[in-house]
Amino acid sequence: MHKNHYIERFQKGWSVFIKNPMGKTGIVILTVFMLMAIASFFVPLLGPTYDPMSGADPLIKISVGPSLQHWLGTDFIGRDIFCQLLEGAKVAFIVGLSCAFISIVLGTAIGMVSGYAGGITDTLLMRIADMFMVMPTLVILLILASLWQLSIWVIILIIAIMRWPSVSRIIRSQTLSLKQRPFIEASKVAGASSGRIIFRHIMPNVLPLAFLYMTFRVTSAILVEAALSFLGFGDPGQVSWGMMLQWVWSSGHMFQAPYWLLPPGICISLLTLSFYMLGRAMDEVLDPRLRKEEGGE
Amino acid sequence: MPKRKFIFNKLIEIVIIFFVILTVLFFLFRLAPGDPVTRMVDPMLTPEDARHLVEQLGLDQPLWKQYLVYVKNFFTGNLGTSFHYGEPVGNIILSKLPCTILLFTTSTLLAAFAGVLLGKISAWNKGSKLDTFLSISALIGHTLFIPWFALIVLWVLAFKAGWFPLGGMITPEVWISDASVIVKILDVIHHMILPLFTLFCIHLGSYLLLMRSAMLGVLQEDYIITARAKGLSEKVIRNKHAAKNAALPVITSVGLSLAFSINGGALTEQIFTWPGIGRELIFAVSNNDYPLAQACFLLITAVVLVANLIVDLLYSYLDPRIRY
Repeated sequence: MHKNHYIERFQKGWSVFIKNPMGKTGIVILTVFMLMAIASFFVPLLGPTYDPMSGADPLIKISVGPSLQHWLGTDFIGRDIFCQLLEGAKVAFIVGLSCAFISIVLGTAIGMVSGYAGGITDTLLMRIADMFMVMPTLVILLILASLWQLSIWVIILIIAIMRWPSVSRIIRSQTLSLKQRPFIEASKVAGASSGRIIFRHIMPNVLPLAFLYMTFRVTSAILVEAALSFLGFGDPGQVSWGMMLQWVWSSGHMFQAPYWLLPPGICISLLTLSFYMLGRAMDEVLDPRLRKEEGGE
Repeated sequence: MPKRKFIFNKLIEIVIIFFVILTVLFFLFRLAPGDPVTRMVDPMLTPEDARHLVEQLGLDQPLWKQYLVYVKNFFTGNLGTSFHYGEPVGNIILSKLPCTILLFTTSTLLAAFAGVLLGKISAWNKGSKLDTFLSISALIGHTLFIPWFALIVLWVLAFKAGWFPLGGMITPEVWISDASVIVKILDVIHHMILPLFTLFCIHLGSYLLLMRSAMLGVLQEDYIITARAKGLSEKVIRNKHAAKNAALPVITSVGLSLAFSINGGALTEQIFTWPGIGRELIFAVSNNDYPLAQACFLLITAVVLVANLIVDLLYSYLDPRIRY
């Protein structure tokens, strides 16, 4: 019966979500990119000359426009742009989702502890959050990149660490209001430990909100990683859309090769847009106030 | 004076944050692989000069003493010498700061102003074609990949159309010649339009969306109904009662989104070769010019903190409900 309740809630939410034009558009675009990411696993079947990183068409040593062999043309050493684009989709998903996941876990945990504990713990954690919040992530990544060669996983971790504070602020205020509810009081009287109250009673109530913020975090993580790669400080062993734009730019092809300049930028912008739309649509599912306002039209 | 106390507390907070960041940076530079001496001392210097610099920076001392020297040097403005320019980094970054501030404040103010205006119109005509168009454009602008958008702007308006220069801040020939001041100012404006346009487009979206949702919230308030019941004209309700209150969160967001804007600013400077701090930082990082990178980083941090303070003060001034 408990399980049914969740399923029912999910179905209700889903029906609101899918009716929303933004949610629908977001899902459609996202599906296309997911297919691209899946397709990237089949690229090696095409042979070594199609490898997005090391493969180069031996017959073409320069950047040429779209042809039957290379649907989107080749880059400055003859690598296939379409295959790079597929690989980029995979990397963008990895970066976006893992960054968002880590920062949400961190942000939710810290937010719940901060809100529940209150007092000096709360003040201290929130001051630390303030500090992270004012720092520009890209600038931090740049200064770290001057000292270390950052691999893709280190970049993911740093972005995640920079992005938890805004999540924990929201989770904290949610926890503060939950703390006043009778059922928390009741479980305290029943002798539940703080840990049990946080994880069994508060967490299920703040998780939907955390998921909502996850979609927004995906957007910003993808953009920051792409910007870093574009500036030439990304993981050199990993093709990404930002890296592709870096190659167009640094090899001086940006005004000569629109077939090369346009696709990665369109992909980054569309993917982040679709995650953002997803978030806005989910916002509506979770916030009945917004829904009513829409329905009133 | 509660207000004075509020300002004082904020200042203390900023100083503490800055100290923490200064300290973290110090340890990061010592933790990184390689010798800190090679990192802070230009490899091109003569051994004599190098030894002098090592002594000056305290790099031959134990770690805690190095830290004290580092803090002292920071407050006396001695941040080291750039490897590339061979000049004190303090001078370099101070000469770049005005360019960044010029571009940054102009674009932020213009975007915030236009965002509030368009957001107001959008919310007021909720559900209309105009609202849909504005919201969708804002959404796209908000999630655009900045460097790519900048490259497209550069390609279309500067390279193809040839209306604007491809980069930089001035035309050297104009500045060498004895042209009048007005010509020189026009020259700077001509160079500034494209980066300004790029930053404006990117920031406009988020301000518009924010203003729209704030305005929609305010329109449901009781005092709007009261205003209607009083028989005030729709225009007065929209501009005086609703928009003024809805604009407050937009001002806070200027502060909160500052970190985001700095990222965008650095990327825009880089693409339009605008000689600002962001571009200098990227340049320093690509050329392993550690003293310059460190100084740029600290300056950006300081600017962010001070700007946050200004936004806080502005907010408390604008919202009479807030009494500290």
